[in-house]
Amino acid sequence: MLSVPEADGGEQMKTILEVQDLKKYFKTSRGILHAVDGVSFKLNVGETLGVVGESGCGKSTLGRTVLHLTEPTDGRILFDGEDITDCSKQHLKELRRRMQIIFQDPFASLDPRKSVREIIEEPLKIYHMFPDREEKRRYVNQLMDTVGLAQRFGSLYPHELDGGRRQRVGIARALALEPDFIVCDEPVSALDVSIQAQVLNLLQDLQEERGLTYMFVTHDLSVVKHIATHIMVMYLGQMVEYADADELFENPLHPYTQALLSAVPVPDVDRKRERIILRGEISSPVDPKPGCRFSPRCIRCTEKCSNTGIHLEEVKPGHFVSCMEFE
Amino acid sequence: MNREGQDNDRKSGQFMELLSRLLMNKAAVIGLIILLVLIFCAVFADVITPYDYAAQDLKNRFVSPCYAHPFGTDNLGRDILSRVIYGARISLSVGVLSVCLSAVVGIILGAIAGFYGGAPDNLIMRVMDIFLAIPNLLLAISIAATLGNGIPNLIMAIGIGAAPTYARIVRASVLSLKEQEFVEAARAVGASDAQIIASHIIPNCLAPIIVQMTLGVASAILSTASLSFIGLGIAPPTSEWGSMLSAGRQYIRDAWYIVTFPGLAIMVTIFGLNLFGDGLRDALDPKLKN
Amino acid sequence: MSRILDIKDLSIHFLLKSGTVKAVNRLSLSLDEGETLGLVGETGAGKTTTALGIMGLVQSPPGKTLGGEILFDGRDLLKLPTREMRKIRGNDISMIFQDPMTSLNPIDTVGEQIAEVIKLHNKVSPAEAAKEAQKMLEMVGIDGSRYNDYPHQFSGGMKQRVVIAIALACHPRLLIADEPTTALDVTIQAQVLDLMRDLRDQMNTSMILITHDLGVVAEVCDKVAIMYAGEIVEYGTLRQVYKNPCHYYTKGLFASIPNMNEKVRRLTPIKGMMPDPAALPAGCKFAERCEYAGEGCGAEQELRDVGEGHLVRCFQCRKQTGVSR
Repeated sequence: MLSVPEADGGEQMKTILEVQDLKKYFKTSRGILHAVDGVSFKLNVGETLGVVGESGCGKSTLGRTVLHLTEPTDGRILFDGEDITDCSKQHLKELRRRMQIIFQDPFASLDPRKSVREIIEEPLKIYHMFPDREEKRRYVNQLMDTVGLAQRFGSLYPHELDGGRRQRVGIARALALEPDFIVCDEPVSALDVSIQAQVLNLLQDLQEERGLTYMFVTHDLSVVKHIATHIMVMYLGQMVEYADADELFENPLHPYTQALLSAVPVPDVDRKRERIILRGEISSPVDPKPGCRFSPRCIRCTEKCSNTGIHLEEVKPGHFVSCMEFE
Repeated sequence: MNREGQDNDRKSGQFMELLSRLLMNKAAVIGLIILLVLIFCAVFADVITPYDYAAQDLKNRFVSPCYAHPFGTDNLGRDILSRVIYGARISLSVGVLSVCLSAVVGIILGAIAGFYGGAPDNLIMRVMDIFLAIPNLLLAISIAATLGNGIPNLIMAIGIGAAPTYARIVRASVLSLKEQEFVEAARAVGASDAQIIASHIIPNCLAPIIVQMTLGVASAILSTASLSFIGLGIAPPTSEWGSMLSAGRQYIRDAWYIVTFPGLAIMVTIFGLNLFGDGLRDALDPKLKN
Repeated sequence: MSRILDIKDLSIHFLLKSGTVKAVNRLSLSLDEGETLGLVGETGAGKTTTALGIMGLVQSPPGKTLGGEILFDGRDLLKLPTREMRKIRGNDISMIFQDPMTSLNPIDTVGEQIAEVIKLHNKVSPAEAAKEAQKMLEMVGIDGSRYNDYPHQFSGGMKQRVVIAIALACHPRLLIADEPTTALDVTIQAQVLDLMRDLRDQMNTSMILITHDLGVVAEVCDKVAIMYAGEIVEYGTLRQVYKNPCHYYTKGLFASIPNMNEKVRRLTPIKGMMPDPAALPAGCKFAERCEYAGEGCGAEQELRDVGEGHLVRCFQCRKQTGVSR
């Protein structure tokens, strides 16, 4: 087993989630799709792990696999020290109270035929919490308050709300069971910038108040820089780089990370950076060839890259890279 | 005021919105009026009919429409108006009940097939395909012939034949619905499959089912009439539009009114139900909202 | 430089049963030959409606263009007969839509789709059109041998290139690009923006780039117009607007974006939401969200020059900079 990326000072802090060599393959008509291929990491209580990558890199699948919304093909998931890789349905239901998800699309993730109040109440119903209706009503009010939704929205239906408010409903639903760990799957991508900032602030406040741990999946590097303590960069199902948020942005080592960072349009007229324009497009994660999966697009690719298997190397304490240059 | 009350207000608000959209459609309003008149006739048949539907008056056979018998009398001297009004009772109850039967069977099978996919899907849908391969009426005839006459058997015969249509509609909706994020969201908060199907999937595919049911009542009424016409449905003297047609057809040259009024009743009913069903579909279609 | 597009007092409203949606209100805008203008705003600001208005593609009913004029090369597009307008669309002005997946016809090969536009506007033989189409494909970086491929055989970024090839096939003088890279990944977005910049310089096309992304604007545009609730609230060169934003909405937008260069613990979002375009407030449309709103903001605001063509529609800002009426 390789050394696993984890936060510095991991000795004193409590690890809430540990993922070891996680794999998730899908059978398709064209072959086996390697959505997540051997990802390992550790996440401590109160931290935010940002998972970045482009569409099809497996970042959303990683989040869903960790939550058992899809079953992992191989590897281990440890939650709060307990192996939950093959746990029973009953046990899984108990675990769901502690790990939740906030979805990307506030339009698709809310049942159009349920009112806001019914949506937030649903998890409470499933766990038979608050048999007393008055208490339940008060608890839901409190939740709506927490996420900044006025009471009068309770009786509205999702299509009557704007994107920002819908996302707040999704957040309230995720908070209803008082979880410790939340996977945020592109929670602000569908929102306008001014609303996006409101929701990001809300997520940060909740984290501080409730000591939440986030896994923040996104394609937006400026958002991840703002909110994450640690960042994992994924490419075609694999982790190519992992480091502290600051370290990763100041000292990106993997050629893909460098290209990704340089490609982000920055709203600044003076700061003209050197731009690395990648050739070609992301290749298919179906039956990938051995060797570095980024090599067909890499500007520093050598012959070795496409032949030899590569491993994650700890280049600096806490900074992991998977690239031939650092083998 | 408690919140529940307000929630109920909202629910009825949605219903009122649907109703107002429906009422804007003139054709649907005509359909609705026809339907309401029919329901009224069926419910109050005992009160509003001038004669007993089975009372024979052999002195007054083949009376042309006149003041005493607006629709005339038949070969046994029975009042045709009374028989047509009573006929609405049979037609509507057989139509509605058989549609309910087929909808319940179809929804359950379709939901299971769509939600689980794979082997259950294959099994259920192939059986449904076999049913669909046999013309509806032929299937109903064979079932009715096997089970014998009587209203419950008639309902079974017509209901089973129509179930595959519902199964297909539900399965198609479920296939698209189960990929929706709100279903995954329900799973993420720990909902079981049964909870997901009952509280998220079925309410969301109800609109096309309701429309199909309205149109289904029309075709069920038609099937009832057809079965009765060939003698496989309602036994005399119970008045049923199809059997009235059948009984009257030999006198068509001399007493046109015996077949004309039950025939018109069938036509108007089907027309009304179809108008209403089409209007309902337009009113429920979210794409036409605003 | 000559003026290619001059929009004066354009208003586009949608007359619905539930009320009148005022999507674009007395909008004035001008564009010089070879210039690129970034039209920035959030969902519902009226950016796309403005673009469709220029193209004469606002669906009517319920859409209605109320007054104003759109001068393209001195001709008022709003007064042109439908036939004339059709000739201009695709030939002199063309448009790229946001979603490359749905703007291509799935049952035609990409080559045919490009050739069709060429045939429509030029008197050329099918063979010539095909040759020209192939040239266009290569120009946007797609191998000419893929002429006979269907859209589903291309990835998202490649499809957007094809869309760009179609839009540029007749060498239009004005290109309107509505969120051309929003559906694309960052690295692909960088490629497409690079391509658009190159083509614009090569062909000297004027361009209106509609986007919500201030970063993208900084990459390609010369001028910026910030739109809010159907109005332009700030207009100027890239440097004027980015270095010295005056309108509080523009300032709010910049403060809402997480900054890549410096770490802030909390963002400062604009409070509240854009007003419902069916019930716009009187006076400054941004006043109810603005921290600095005060007396005078209730009155209708005009775009005023705060220096060297930098236009701002804000009472407070004008007061501060001391620009006289």
